[in-house]
Amino acid sequence: MTDALYEVRNISKNYGAVTALDNVSMKVRAGEIVGLVGDNGAGKSTLVKCLSGVHQPSSGEILLDGQERHWRSPHDAIQAGIETLYQESGLAPQLSVGANVFLGREEMKPGILGKLGFLAQKSMDARAHADLERVGIAVPSSNRSIAQLSGGQRQAVAIGRAVAWASKIIILDEPTNHLGARQAGEVLHVMRAARDQGLGVIFISHTLPHVLEVTDRIVVLRLGRVVKDAPTSTFDQESLLGTITGLIAD
Amino acid sequence: MAASAPAAHPKTASRLRELVSNQTFVLFLVWIAMVVFFTAANHIFFSSDVAGNILADWGPLMLVATAETFVIISGGIDLSVGAITGLSGVVAAFAMQDMTTAGQGATLTLIVGLLVCIGVGLLVGLINSLLINYARLVPFIATLVTLGAGEGLSIVFTGGAPIGGGPPQAISLSVPWLGPFSTPVLVVVAITIVCWLYLHKAKFGRYTYAFGSNSFATRAAGISTKKQITKIYMLSGLLSGLAGMFFYLRLGSGAPTTGAGLELDAIAAVVIGGAALSGGVGRLSGTIMGALILTTVTSGLIIIGVAPNWKQVVVAVLIALAVSIQALRRGEGKAS
Repeated sequence: MTDALYEVRNISKNYGAVTALDNVSMKVRAGEIVGLVGDNGAGKSTLVKCLSGVHQPSSGEILLDGQERHWRSPHDAIQAGIETLYQESGLAPQLSVGANVFLGREEMKPGILGKLGFLAQKSMDARAHADLERVGIAVPSSNRSIAQLSGGQRQAVAIGRAVAWASKIIILDEPTNHLGARQAGEVLHVMRAARDQGLGVIFISHTLPHVLEVTDRIVVLRLGRVVKDAPTSTFDQESLLGTITGLIAD
Repeated sequence: MAASAPAAHPKTASRLRELVSNQTFVLFLVWIAMVVFFTAANHIFFSSDVAGNILADWGPLMLVATAETFVIISGGIDLSVGAITGLSGVVAAFAMQDMTTAGQGATLTLIVGLLVCIGVGLLVGLINSLLINYARLVPFIATLVTLGAGEGLSIVFTGGAPIGGGPPQAISLSVPWLGPFSTPVLVVVAITIVCWLYLHKAKFGRYTYAFGSNSFATRAAGISTKKQITKIYMLSGLLSGLAGMFFYLRLGSGAPTTGAGLELDAIAAVVIGGAALSGGVGRLSGTIMGALILTTVTSGLIIIGVAPNWKQVVVAVLIALAVSIQALRRGEGKAS
């Protein structure tokens, strides 16, 4: 079991006197979708933020490809090939689709204009369109602003951006929230495609049917601890729900 | 609301609607209407002299309004722009007075004066960004602090009186020579163009919009938001310092009261220009028209013989109109 692509070992996170994560360990392999589930306040979002470099754990180790890493900021994690789709919108609504896909890694104009800080907008728009299409997402036009898109389209752009840029790990925090059945199906399809490309996928969701449908393994968090880590085939909806709520003993 | 419209030429109609919903274009029409109105009321209004006067008012306002445009699009506000204008003008006036007394040449003295204005502006801008980034003050409070401190220092340094005694050539630089355009006004035009390019075509502007639109997303995308804030408030300080030099060249002295209330005119120009105080929205072209409308109203009312204090009332009405039109348009866009 040392073939983990991304792994946390015994991490804890305290906010003052509150312990959000208590000695949590989990891993994801390349080409695997791991479901991360738990009730509200179980520590899912905190764990996501530790995995993506937004927060630094109070103690414990983070390993990528077996090497210990310390993320000082999301920038570090992104550089290492870890993309995160946050529950809070990770998109800037007033910016265009193309600007959002390239946010933080803008393409500059060639030569002196690029050195002066000018953007290669047309090239970014075209590439954003191509990238989104490649991951199976149809978005009307790269120069539309995000605010003009429907909820499903916005989510598609956010996921498309994450999948297009991820080289190792993609973390999706509630990506099917507020989506219709068809759009949620598309999101699950994109996740499978990312797995088949060899990415490690971490899928956080309250929608247990989605988790059971798409994941290979499920990690259950309760009150900041991992209470179960087992192959998806060993769960059904009832036993998963029981484990999450604590009605089924660990 | 679309269903009832007779869509004879849908393409022309949509293009027309796009034009009408373009804040800058609407403001341009408003401005034209103002020029026509003031000219009809008094034909003297339509002259190069008056245009030169309006542009001389527009120059410094445009500098601080450009600063405010970047800041407001980033979701912040800079109340210290007027105080920086006053303080930089005063400090530069002292420096130029000393150099002139010591027998230095006018050119060197004015260059030093310019550099002092830039330095004071950058310094106060840096203080603003430190207060925001590290003392965790919201921009309103941080810049309220530097507004108070800056205005206070200007009065302490000068005892309240204007500081002259600089090179006598200063004022002649402000004389229009290209139609109604003087050299300082032309410099402001050039700066405005460069700022437009950086706001709308460059990474700096992209991050400014991104931060104002969704600061969490910007940070999560790996962008250093502290660095961006530092750059924005230092740019704001720099432009406000340049406004201080503009006033010095126009008046031939640096007075502590020069920039008093300028921040409110700047914010008015930006808001009339279509930017939202919530951040992420706005165009520098809108601010250009906003500043032009404000300065045109000021000169126009004087020329048609209305007491200048009416300007405040007219500006208030313009702000209310501009903002409510935007709010109505947003509501229409939702159409739920």
